[in-house]
Amino acid sequence: MRSDFNLPLFGLLAISLTGWGGMALGAPIAKSKDSDFFERHIRPIFVSHCYECHSEAEKEQKGGLLLDRESGWLEGGETGKAVVPGNAAASLLITAVRRADEDTAMPPKHPLSAQEVKLLEQWVAKGAPGPAADMGETEFSRLGDQDYIFGKAKDHWAFQPVDPVEPPIASDPAWNHNAIDRFIFSKLGNEGIAPSPTADQGVLTRRLSYDLTGLPPTRAMFALPITELVTQLIDSPRFGEHFARMWLDVSRYADTASTYRPDTKTPHYYPFAFTYRDYVIAAFNEDKPFDQFIREQLAADLMGFPEDAPELAALGFIGNSPIRSMSPDFVDDVIDTTTRGFLGLTAACSRCHDHKFEPIPTADYYALYGVFSSVEHPEPWDVDAYPVIRGYEPTPEQAADYQQKRQAIAKKIREAGNTKKKGNNRSVAEAIEQTTLAELLLTNDGAPARAMAVRERPKPVEPIVFLRGDPGMRGERVPRRFLKILDPDQTPFSAENSGRLDLANRIADPENPLTARVFVNRVWGVLMGSHLVGTPSDFGLQGIPPSHPELLDWLAADFVANGWSLKHLVRSIVDSQAYQQSSLPRPELATSDPENHLLARANAKRLQIEELRDSLLAVSGQLDLRMRGRSGELWGENYSPRRSIYGYINRFNLDPTLRNFDFPTPMQSQEKRTESIVAPQALFAMNSPFMIGQAQRLVERLSFSNAQTREERVNAIFDHVFHRKAEPGEQERIAKFLNLEEGRKVDPWPLLAQALLMSNEFLYVD
Amino acid sequence: MNQNLSLSRRAWLQKTGFGFGAIAASDLLSAVELPHEAAPLAVREPHFPARAKRVIHLFMNGGPSQIDTFDPKPGLAKLDGKPLPDSVLNALQNVQKGRAGTIWASPFKFFKHGQSGLEISELYPHVAKHADDLCVIRSMQGNVANHSPGLLLMNCGHEVLPRPSIGSWALYGLGTDSEDLPGYVVLMPSGMPTAQSRNWTSAFLPGVYQGTHIETDAKGSELIPHLTRSDIRPGTQRSQLALTQFLNRRHSNRRPGDERLDSRIHSMELAFRMQSAATDAFDVSKEPESIREMYGDSAVGRNLLMARRLAERGVRYIQCYHGAGQPWDNHSGLLPRIKALTQESDQPIAALLSDLKNRGMLEDTLVVWGGEMGRTSTIQTGPKKVEQYGRDHHVDGFTIWMAGAGVRGGTVYGQTDELGLSIAENPVHVHDLHATILHQLGFDHKRLTYRYSGRDFRLTDVHGRVVHELLA
Repeated sequence: MRSDFNLPLFGLLAISLTGWGGMALGAPIAKSKDSDFFERHIRPIFVSHCYECHSEAEKEQKGGLLLDRESGWLEGGETGKAVVPGNAAASLLITAVRRADEDTAMPPKHPLSAQEVKLLEQWVAKGAPGPAADMGETEFSRLGDQDYIFGKAKDHWAFQPVDPVEPPIASDPAWNHNAIDRFIFSKLGNEGIAPSPTADQGVLTRRLSYDLTGLPPTRAMFALPITELVTQLIDSPRFGEHFARMWLDVSRYADTASTYRPDTKTPHYYPFAFTYRDYVIAAFNEDKPFDQFIREQLAADLMGFPEDAPELAALGFIGNSPIRSMSPDFVDDVIDTTTRGFLGLTAACSRCHDHKFEPIPTADYYALYGVFSSVEHPEPWDVDAYPVIRGYEPTPEQAADYQQKRQAIAKKIREAGNTKKKGNNRSVAEAIEQTTLAELLLTNDGAPARAMAVRERPKPVEPIVFLRGDPGMRGERVPRRFLKILDPDQTPFSAENSGRLDLANRIADPENPLTARVFVNRVWGVLMGSHLVGTPSDFGLQGIPPSHPELLDWLAADFVANGWSLKHLVRSIVDSQAYQQSSLPRPELATSDPENHLLARANAKRLQIEELRDSLLAVSGQLDLRMRGRSGELWGENYSPRRSIYGYINRFNLDPTLRNFDFPTPMQSQEKRTESIVAPQALFAMNSPFMIGQAQRLVERLSFSNAQTREERVNAIFDHVFHRKAEPGEQERIAKFLNLEEGRKVDPWPLLAQALLMSNEFLYVD
Repeated sequence: MNQNLSLSRRAWLQKTGFGFGAIAASDLLSAVELPHEAAPLAVREPHFPARAKRVIHLFMNGGPSQIDTFDPKPGLAKLDGKPLPDSVLNALQNVQKGRAGTIWASPFKFFKHGQSGLEISELYPHVAKHADDLCVIRSMQGNVANHSPGLLLMNCGHEVLPRPSIGSWALYGLGTDSEDLPGYVVLMPSGMPTAQSRNWTSAFLPGVYQGTHIETDAKGSELIPHLTRSDIRPGTQRSQLALTQFLNRRHSNRRPGDERLDSRIHSMELAFRMQSAATDAFDVSKEPESIREMYGDSAVGRNLLMARRLAERGVRYIQCYHGAGQPWDNHSGLLPRIKALTQESDQPIAALLSDLKNRGMLEDTLVVWGGEMGRTSTIQTGPKKVEQYGRDHHVDGFTIWMAGAGVRGGTVYGQTDELGLSIAENPVHVHDLHATILHQLGFDHKRLTYRYSGRDFRLTDVHGRVVHELLA
């Protein structure tokens, strides 16, 4: 047990903060000269000894107690009233300063003098008069006051039903045939700002290719009318691969747990994580209705699928947690990923106390805790606990190769028996199982593919609130149920099972005000380069309000009305004039709307690391478009030329190149990526063997068969990388470079190709 | 993004933030204040003037025995060889129970040093010469007596959950002064400590605040990923980069007002300079022989000398681990091992302190020495030869010392009880140490926050108190 100096005052006995919002404030106790007593004798004691932890000035209310206002000590903190006016014996504050009980003695380190204690006793006996100018209740004192917060939440936009408004009529006919445009245009009109003209066809082609598939356009695409191009791109299997990345950030995808074996220094592998990644790609390619997508990820095992159904892989949403073992932290991670991912609510903050800012009492957290602690989350090496699924049948050669290697390892495990290495209390057999065998399962296509599924416990858990998040401190019982703010009736979930399907149905309910709004906002952000709600996983009171609330509602309603179809949503956004505008900066917007909230132009976007890597492979002709299956290495001598979505993600030791390029740490659900510009990114462009290798291959691939002159060769490279010819000024400058380097006896062509691949024109999409 | 941190215009003009370096004078007029996200490493003003501009944390990973180094327990001599009373045994953490048996007084002698008379054991004769600079905290307190939780608590403020490390917070708060180097560097001769990169993770802070792990026994060009390429000459690379920048400027001239494009142009120049600057910074052979001798030609010596070279170049946060794994984890064979470990580290640490002082850098460099926990005053396992004796993990009263940057030298703060098994006076929890370090860097630990997942996170979570008694 730690010493008490960090424990909050009166923080040991109870936790519930609910119910103090309705207290009568400023009870009529005689004031005037009694206030003098407070100001002269009591406040100085509080200032020297108490306000560090119990005052708004210090932004602290440990144990929920404030001593800078009358309501503070009258209502008290988590253990109840601090002061009972007129009754020193019944006042916890007096008990604490008398230090009768070590656990509640206050102040924690330096006892008050006998004189100070006496003054406090006198003050309580006098009726504990408050300050002359009492600050009363403030936003700060109401932190965590759930009644008050629920009251505020009643008017919060995100909890209102999605109520689609008729889009306004735009005065410009070009902006009037798409509902999205009518919202954007009318808002721009209100601000007196003109939208930007439509981008050139070439610019649009490249933009659409990246936004819908994450890959550079092929030459043939430039000849297609835009509507046909959109159809082709949306129907391409590359579409699902691209949008899956958005969802894998949310569902914190990786191929290992966050921990490792200390003796072998290997991560705890998740050999079957890839089936979840493939499931997400397929779901987006098949345009699986999003409500179904929700249900399958939370409860596929309860939906009557055959036991080898590919849909079971959806449960990787739960199973692919950074936390390897069944534990309160695992459950916490799943609650967090589920509530932020689908609902934009930060329910995990309510683990130890009622949410300070959001209408989420601790009881809600433990209602969901009951749901997710009612599953079995097998250790990753308990391979047989994960069901084999259809769709990955190996060729006979693959199967034979796997069997042979598997048996060799099985033999080693048998031979190891119960032996242990000196100085290591883990068995050798276990080490082989968790390293060599796991690595085989992780990489060998002949191994049966399994769903990273969870399954029901024989008996569901009846949740109990853990006080302060401590499983050893039991509070009230709560049923497994949905969040109170979204289900005021607090209907209990099924008594028969964990309630995951009930939960999924609640989330996927068309009447749920959050689910569709949260998802359409994520998709909007990917396509437009900025979100309507700037905090995509936080739609609560603390989140940023939407820039275009009516548009958000229209999109959400239209999404649901069209069968929760991602492809419909994407198409309606990219069909809009708003999307198709030029991204060129306009000087007048730099002052009127510097962050482009109103969307008077499109946002130029930087390629994400996956798009950059895929593009390099595409222009060098190396890109292998095989889908599905086990993850491969992203870099290094044996890099896989497949798309980056199929790259191996070590959660425990995240690849430095990914990190340098803003790949979000998959330790927790991630709402959006940052965009930094740092020197290590440039070092990668200049010096990485991967980059140098792709430039070399690009030159080899072009081989200049039709290009006779040097200018033609330059144009061939330009056409390949930039989809355009070199301009005369560029030709001239490049000629100088070629002459200089040829004079130095250096082959300049791969260097020229790399110079283009390093450029902003390659990295940014207009 | 934290509203409390202001990106000072002046500081911004002096330093860019796109990684590493200064803006050329001609660019000053067009320099625009970018949000934290776009210029994450720009120099920022802290909450109040900082005493420490940088931190060098000497991490004795594994958990050094305070009983044998900085926390003398003369009273143990008469109890030596006696079993622990049950009452004490029962108060120990579960991980220690059943392993902590017989009391073992330190076989090493302690002497008073300096004007302050600070007591230091004979294992650290060189460090002892700096006694008057050391502020020794003998009442350090952690939560769980084991390596991974101890390391993560010491580095990230939480023993389990993924939280940003203190170096990431420092970099997030202050940006970096270093022209051409990463702002947060983790040095070790080779390999990784226990819990590996989680010790210097940026967690939910953007990835640029992550520590850069460098194995100092590796060659210069391998220290930082992709630092150089060897297949072409620097002149050729310069001309290739010039061509890229020619294309980049044409591109950005047609898109005036998109600051990101200009930022990237700058960052490529900085990266180019960094190739030689970083190689130079890590090359200790450039030091005069007298300096190299002072540190000693050893893995720890080179490590610490490199730390000083980095500190000199403006690196904000430097951690030096003693070695891979947990070398100070002396469950058995403590006598020979601690002799070797202190011998390896004594001269280099003393050299670092002298060197910093001679350069006037100890004034604004905070040096921290310690491990993720300490060790028990008892023999861990049953009767053996004394050479085989070891001590177990211990978190209730271990020792850390600090020096430089406004800490009170020649002082001891906090006390353990006479058995050395619990804190008798003035506990300093790891959260308090964090609050104090951040305070020396100019931050109110309660206000250095980052909004993530619906709440404002800070290094000290809901804990921490600045231990003003440690400060001059």
